[in-house]
Amino acid sequence: MNTFNLAPLILILPVIGLLLNGLFGRRFVEANPANGERLTGWLASLMTIGAFLVSLSLFLSLLAHGFEPIIVPLFNWIDIPSADFLVNWAMQVDTLSVTMMLVVTGVGSLIHIYAIGYMHGDPDFSRFFTYLNLFIFFMLILVSGSSYLVMFVGWEGVGLCSYLLISFWWARLDKNGVPANANAGRKAMIMNRIGDFGVILAMILLFWTFGTLDYQAVFSGAVEMFEANHMVAFGGLSVPLPTVLTAVTALFLLGVTGKSAQIPLYTWLPDAMAGPTPVSALIHAATMVTAGVYLLVRSNVLYEIVRTSGATILGLISTPNLVAWVGALTAFFAALIAFSQNDIKKVLAYSTVSQLGFMVAAAGSGAYVAAMFHLVTHAFFKALLFLGSGSVIHGMEHGHHHLAHAGHGATHTDDDGFDPQDMRYMGGLRRRMPTTFIVYLIGSLALAGIIPLAGFWSKDEILLHDQTYATPIFIVLAIAALGTAFYVARQLIMVFFGKPRHAAAEHAAESPALMTTPLVVLAGLTVFGGLLNLPYLTRAMAEANHNHPAGIFLMLESWLEHSLASFELAEEGILALPRTPVYLSLLVAGISTALAVGGLLLGYLVYRGRPRTSSEPDRLARTPIWWWSVLPLNSLYMKGFVPLFNRFSVWLADKVDWAFWHDFVHDRVIRDIFVTGAEFSANVLDAQGVDGVVNGAGKTTQRLARGLRLTQTGYARTYALAVLLGAVGLLVYFLFMAG
Amino acid sequence: MNWILTIVTFLPLIGVLAILLTNPPKRGSENLVKGIAVVTSAITFLGTLLILMRFDPGTPGLQLVDRFDWIPSWGIQYFLGVDGLSILMVLLTSFISMLAIASSWNAIKTQVKQFYIFCLLLETGMLGVFLAQDLFLFYIFWEFTLVPMYFLIGIWGGARRVYASIKFFLYTMAASLLMLLAILYMGINAGTFSLPDLIAGRAAFAGAQDLLFLGFFLAFAVKVPIFPFHSWLPDAHTEAPTAGSIILAGVLLKMGTYGLIRFNLPLFPEAAYRYAPAIAVLAIIGIIYGAIVSFAQKDVKKLVAYSSISHLGFVTLGIFSLNAAGIQGAILQGVNHGLSTGALFFLVGVLYEQTHTRDMSAYGGVWKIMPVFSVLSLIVVLSSMGLPGLNGFVGEFTILLGSMGAESLAPRPWIFTAFATTGVILAAVYLLWMFQRVFMGPAETKEVKGLRDMNRGELVIMLSFLLFIFWIGIAPSLYFHLMDSSVSALVSHLSSTLMALR
Repeated sequence: MNTFNLAPLILILPVIGLLLNGLFGRRFVEANPANGERLTGWLASLMTIGAFLVSLSLFLSLLAHGFEPIIVPLFNWIDIPSADFLVNWAMQVDTLSVTMMLVVTGVGSLIHIYAIGYMHGDPDFSRFFTYLNLFIFFMLILVSGSSYLVMFVGWEGVGLCSYLLISFWWARLDKNGVPANANAGRKAMIMNRIGDFGVILAMILLFWTFGTLDYQAVFSGAVEMFEANHMVAFGGLSVPLPTVLTAVTALFLLGVTGKSAQIPLYTWLPDAMAGPTPVSALIHAATMVTAGVYLLVRSNVLYEIVRTSGATILGLISTPNLVAWVGALTAFFAALIAFSQNDIKKVLAYSTVSQLGFMVAAAGSGAYVAAMFHLVTHAFFKALLFLGSGSVIHGMEHGHHHLAHAGHGATHTDDDGFDPQDMRYMGGLRRRMPTTFIVYLIGSLALAGIIPLAGFWSKDEILLHDQTYATPIFIVLAIAALGTAFYVARQLIMVFFGKPRHAAAEHAAESPALMTTPLVVLAGLTVFGGLLNLPYLTRAMAEANHNHPAGIFLMLESWLEHSLASFELAEEGILALPRTPVYLSLLVAGISTALAVGGLLLGYLVYRGRPRTSSEPDRLARTPIWWWSVLPLNSLYMKGFVPLFNRFSVWLADKVDWAFWHDFVHDRVIRDIFVTGAEFSANVLDAQGVDGVVNGAGKTTQRLARGLRLTQTGYARTYALAVLLGAVGLLVYFLFMAG
Repeated sequence: MNWILTIVTFLPLIGVLAILLTNPPKRGSENLVKGIAVVTSAITFLGTLLILMRFDPGTPGLQLVDRFDWIPSWGIQYFLGVDGLSILMVLLTSFISMLAIASSWNAIKTQVKQFYIFCLLLETGMLGVFLAQDLFLFYIFWEFTLVPMYFLIGIWGGARRVYASIKFFLYTMAASLLMLLAILYMGINAGTFSLPDLIAGRAAFAGAQDLLFLGFFLAFAVKVPIFPFHSWLPDAHTEAPTAGSIILAGVLLKMGTYGLIRFNLPLFPEAAYRYAPAIAVLAIIGIIYGAIVSFAQKDVKKLVAYSSISHLGFVTLGIFSLNAAGIQGAILQGVNHGLSTGALFFLVGVLYEQTHTRDMSAYGGVWKIMPVFSVLSLIVVLSSMGLPGLNGFVGEFTILLGSMGAESLAPRPWIFTAFATTGVILAAVYLLWMFQRVFMGPAETKEVKGLRDMNRGELVIMLSFLLFIFWIGIAPSLYFHLMDSSVSALVSHLSSTLMALR
């Protein structure tokens, strides 16, 4: 008995939800706001919970059936026999895709429920839940597709949902009258499309190399061709396979930098915080942004072939190493940038960029399990932190409303620049919002990497791997970990400790149970999530088990290795995958704990009791660290490239296309030549008495010439008819000639 | 003789006759005229569905042929036939014509009779273009389509309609004359104007094939339009009434790409290989140039017009990949562009009818006022952007796939593909900007606040577009199946000449 046939349900359920909510939700909510909200909100939530239960049953079926990947075909998508191009809508149920499904639907369900409380009273309540279900649908296509092209449907689809949800409040203008929300959504979509450019080209390269885009066929084809040292024929050239795969994997990396917000395309993610907070938690922290990591892990065979072959980009660096460096540098810089943020969500946004950097670095170094492990634990604690920040914002807004209603808020209206997300106005919230405080503290400590919370174990595994195989990456990541602990401490102090710096913070209130319950569940997952892939506690234990997973140790690894073909190929000696050590290294664990505690302590020392007022400058505002933290990429794009593009576009449209090509060349030069020629034919040729038909044609063109001049007079229609007659005349003339 | 193609082609003329027989325009007779036109176009659409049912996708050659001698002394025949290269175009023509005619119900208030007569005449012309297999007959239909479109723009168009219509007319006419010369040269040399015979006997004019290729190419390039022959398009698109824009974008431009596939490739395969890289360069310039120029537009119709240049750049690139994926992608993308751009022009028409402005700065916040309209518009915009799961992606991806495997673009086809793929980014840039300006932001002006959402008729038209937008996006195999054997035959014809070239 297995449940693989149920797999399509994970896609059907969200579709039912989004159709019902999309078509009728608005009417429900407008007819009866309280019940309507409950109906639409719970409908969407139940569909996601349903998908979670199906994912759970798929998980159990895989456990019971030896972990072998199952393909569930749905129907034909693109089928062009004469081009040998065939792509099917089909799902691949394997341990990797089910892991992603569980994260997406599990964390997704909690966030749906939370959002019922958070979005309460929003006029577009039903639209929000329609989008959320649409997102779940596309995200599940992304993780369950059995080929790159189906994955790409989800990949672009979640980008669309991200666009819709970031610009959810598209009618809002900021203080300067700029439609900031709509702009942020557009920026996200365009940055992602730059990445998608890479993914599209990579897929096309894969097709012309392997004749298919199905994962299993691509990977087995790649290994076969690699072993046989096969050359790939390309546009008349013959290229070694590792060269092609270097291009493919580099292009995939471009897609990853877009979707998972890595250098150089990360700049959209901080802006994406314009969306409602549940969206930030679901899409921009826990799930969508990890799609890039998923793509890297899914393509592990391709990356490992490149690593094993030693192929490099222009002799400089191999693509897996490039991936690792992009991830490490992103982790480092984003952590630094987080220092300088005052918006509670922006700190978390840069933190997300940084943590995604850890995952990407792990995948690039070959620590695929560690990357997935961190993906899962990060989904727990970062969803927790975002939802917690939403609770804080909710509480601050509550306090602010309270002031306005209490009547002593004349000086506390929006004119004082109050922003419920600005940490400078917070302070001391631990007393006002105790539940939120405790769960936020748990999430923060997990993010900082404090033992025994989930974040410690996953980050430690990444650090251990790179300490073993790539010391420079290890050093960069270790510094990033130190920075992480520092900004975590800064945020905790600014939000929860000290004295309230604004009346709104004094009157903040704890959020309703609908919101705090998911927080408590996520906090539980954050505490115990480390058990998912617990390493052997000593080297001796690991060796006693032949360095392989057993029992409660390394469960995630023993689960995922069935989807990571490069693990098996490494054991067969075909690929040189660096295997992550499976025991707890006291050295690395000691270093990372020291860094985490040190960073928190440093943050405490710097920010203890600070800032005292909401207008006091940051204590680090005058230090060089502030300057390092400004990676100028966003300015380069928004102040450099975008205005340049705008100017170029206007110049091309107005000057080149319109003034020159349209007005000058066509309406002046060509017209004048035509008119002159027509007059010549009429006056000179006709005067010399060519035969009647030509005469007529000549006269017609003469009239046409006048017609052109008389364009403005309104008689033009008649003259254009004459053109037609002329053409017909010409036809007849040629017919006579032929006869 | 099957007669079905002939009957369907000239079916719209029966509607024309019926309209002529109605009483002189009075208040009451207008609905009768509109009704006749809509019913006629619907029957014609059903007729093309009948053609589809009788069509055998497994046969590569011409089917349902109607053929007899017309002017025997010059080898001119009346010769209609359909195959995989044209079946989708025929269906597209009748479908788009029907929707365009239906969409004009409330928009056209003056000279109603003439308007529908021209629409129906145009439909016959377009069907003839896609079905004629004798070059002389083809040319007659080809030129014939100009006349009704000329009047549609010139009488019912916008403020600069007269200028736009004359320019449209002269520009396409002038380029077509070169094709006429090429046709006459070939016909006189080979003693026949029938396309299959000319292809078989193309040795007779192979010596002049470069010039002949260019003659045809120019006529089609203006029609597509391929950069830099696009100068007539923004004028014509912008000034045409909604129905005119829908037909222009939906069908007339496809006459150009269809012509390239139908005539340029099989008649002059060596020249096609020789010029493929140069034309592909023009196509890619068109993709990028059209997109960038589109971004700077303030007039929403002009924006859509320039986006057509970009989209048809993809189609042209696909054709001159000269392989199965490229050509099939190109044919399908022609259909896709007809659907999504036709739908876009329809949507703009719905707005324009109420506000009488095309200036995007006059809009903003439409989503708040017209939620249904806005969601449907979003889907069409996404289809135009090539979002996977909708129709545009399937065509675009297949074309890009074809271009990277194109021997005609050897030795480095991926450079073409890489540049063309930037169009995917740029499409998001200009379309999302358009969408934001019209639909997002606060609803401030009185005009926007006074907008009404779609009525039932508009909804039906829109859903008809969307049906195909989703269908082709999710399950396009049927569409590829219809053209596969014909394209396969064309490609093997092409590659056999490539072998001979080597």
